Amino acid sequence: MLKILRDLLRYNREFAAGVALLSFVVLVAAASFFSPYPAADSFVVPPDLPPSWPHVLGTNSRGQDVFWQLSFAIRNTLLFGFSVAILSRIISLVVGLVAGYAGGMVDRVLMSINDSFIVIPLFPILVLFYFVMRERMSWAWLALAMAALGWAYDARLIRSVALSLRTREFTQTSIFSGMSMRQILVEEHLPYVLPIVFSTTMNNINWSIGLEVTLSVLGFTNVDTPTIGMMIYWANQHTALVAGIWWWIAFPVALVVMTFIGLFLLAVSMNEYIDPRSRLARMGA
Amino acid sequence: MAPTGTQAVLTVEGLRAYYQVNTYGIEREVRAVDDVSLHVNANEIYGLAGESSCGKTTLVKTIAAAIRPPLRVIAGSVSYRFGDRRVGLYDLDGKELAEIRWKHLSYIMQGSMSVLNPLRRVRSSFVDFAFRHIGKPMPEFLSIVETHLKRLHLEPSVLDAYPHELSGGMRQRVTIALATVCRPDFIAADEPTTALDVVVQKSVLAMIRETQRAMGASMMFVTHDMAVHANLSDRLGIMYAGRLVEEGLTGEVFRRPAHPYTAHLIASLPRIGDTHSREGLAGAPPNLADPPTGCRFHSRCPLAMDACKRDVPEMAWISDTHRVACFAAKTGAPA
Repeated sequence: MLKILRDLLRYNREFAAGVALLSFVVLVAAASFFSPYPAADSFVVPPDLPPSWPHVLGTNSRGQDVFWQLSFAIRNTLLFGFSVAILSRIISLVVGLVAGYAGGMVDRVLMSINDSFIVIPLFPILVLFYFVMRERMSWAWLALAMAALGWAYDARLIRSVALSLRTREFTQTSIFSGMSMRQILVEEHLPYVLPIVFSTTMNNINWSIGLEVTLSVLGFTNVDTPTIGMMIYWANQHTALVAGIWWWIAFPVALVVMTFIGLFLLAVSMNEYIDPRSRLARMGA
Repeated sequence: MAPTGTQAVLTVEGLRAYYQVNTYGIEREVRAVDDVSLHVNANEIYGLAGESSCGKTTLVKTIAAAIRPPLRVIAGSVSYRFGDRRVGLYDLDGKELAEIRWKHLSYIMQGSMSVLNPLRRVRSSFVDFAFRHIGKPMPEFLSIVETHLKRLHLEPSVLDAYPHELSGGMRQRVTIALATVCRPDFIAADEPTTALDVVVQKSVLAMIRETQRAMGASMMFVTHDMAVHANLSDRLGIMYAGRLVEEGLTGEVFRRPAHPYTAHLIASLPRIGDTHSREGLAGAPPNLADPPTGCRFHSRCPLAMDACKRDVPEMAWISDTHRVACFAAKTGAPA
């Protein structure tokens, strides 16, 4: 595993660039643990200072240091993305593997639920969800809601692989040797779909962060938890661009764009690794 | 030899196994195995031959209890004798079946080159498939596996390899090791050597024979390759269109084929020094979803009589060890 990582870093420029970008973003997020100011406090520093020492990214109109705000925001945003991705991956793995393996009625029922989730429009439902939840709306609820809406495409993808796996001889042999369905799915089929899942996880993180930013900018989330979207929301509320406080918007946008590009590069290079032909060429086989 | 010897390990009686499909209200039935009766004696390799789509694989699946819908057993029985125990395969519940499989009854599947999961090491495949059936602690299990691999001329280091790191012949031997590691009483082998070239095939066949002799197992060996049967099988059964048409000691069947289909099958084999071009048999095998009346071979048979179109010929003994389902053979006409 370590050798694969080293080889990828050495021979795959996209992978190296993606790792570098994401490492930087994670470092910024990690800095939040050393913040001198609590995230929610306002007017702890002089407002509207341009980037200069000791406030390297300036301060905003609410009297907060943009750098420390940003480190809290990116930490929450990343956590949010990972939570949504992991939760939705679990649902899509279970649904995809079971539907593909069991077939018949189970497959038909699961896939009709799956297809319903593919066709329903996400955005209006999330806005509706916010209006229903209102005061109780929190980071965790939004992550749950998005995970429940974001698994369907990948469940179909995983099912298509599982459909082919269940007709292979090793599956037949597993059944013949008396392995249970759970054992076959976890021990024989899961290793097959994990690389695909890994790649779609990157896409899913991108998707969930993008949607969270959209919802936050429009104010459809809990406004007290600092996220990248929330920073942009507050900057808009204070008409930062009109007032010339460009650093309040520019830095969060730049950081989230770096995150997107980093994840995208990782997904692309992972695809190259997953494709058996290019992997074989790399292995010299 | 008596029709159903008491020493028979496997006895199949009047077996019918059909594929039944119901798609959008249209029912279709493919009679892949129709009224087959046979037995396999202890320590014997029973060869099963026939052209593609004649029901060989279906028959093996059925006697190994490896059937899944749409394949269903419609009638007949499959029973085994393991030691002193007699079991009817389709009288067992799932748990009893699981106990018998692998330990007493093992199955080498068609395309057995891909029995090993390409993403798991050979060791994991052994643990996944065979560990539960041996019932010994892990270190002891692994030493049993290693001893067994050595018997099949494989290094214990193959356990740490992935299947793609092994050659075709090695993979085939690993697969056979996997099927025989629990020392089963009966092995059903479905074309286990078809994917190999003749040189590797020869050594794998010799190894199968050696292992079977050493363990005292019985075996049903399926292949369309008559040369393999001539080398390996003790007795030979010929299938045509879902039915057993002839059965006898291998030498007997090759020397004096009684069924016209067998005669054509054997006449089609090339011989060294013979420059005659081989005659193909006119026509095609019948559609098993709509089999012809009477003898299923009558439309292609050079000896066909009126009775062949009307009545189904029963299996009849023409010597102590040789039986055939053909009206022409019964009336004594040389095939």
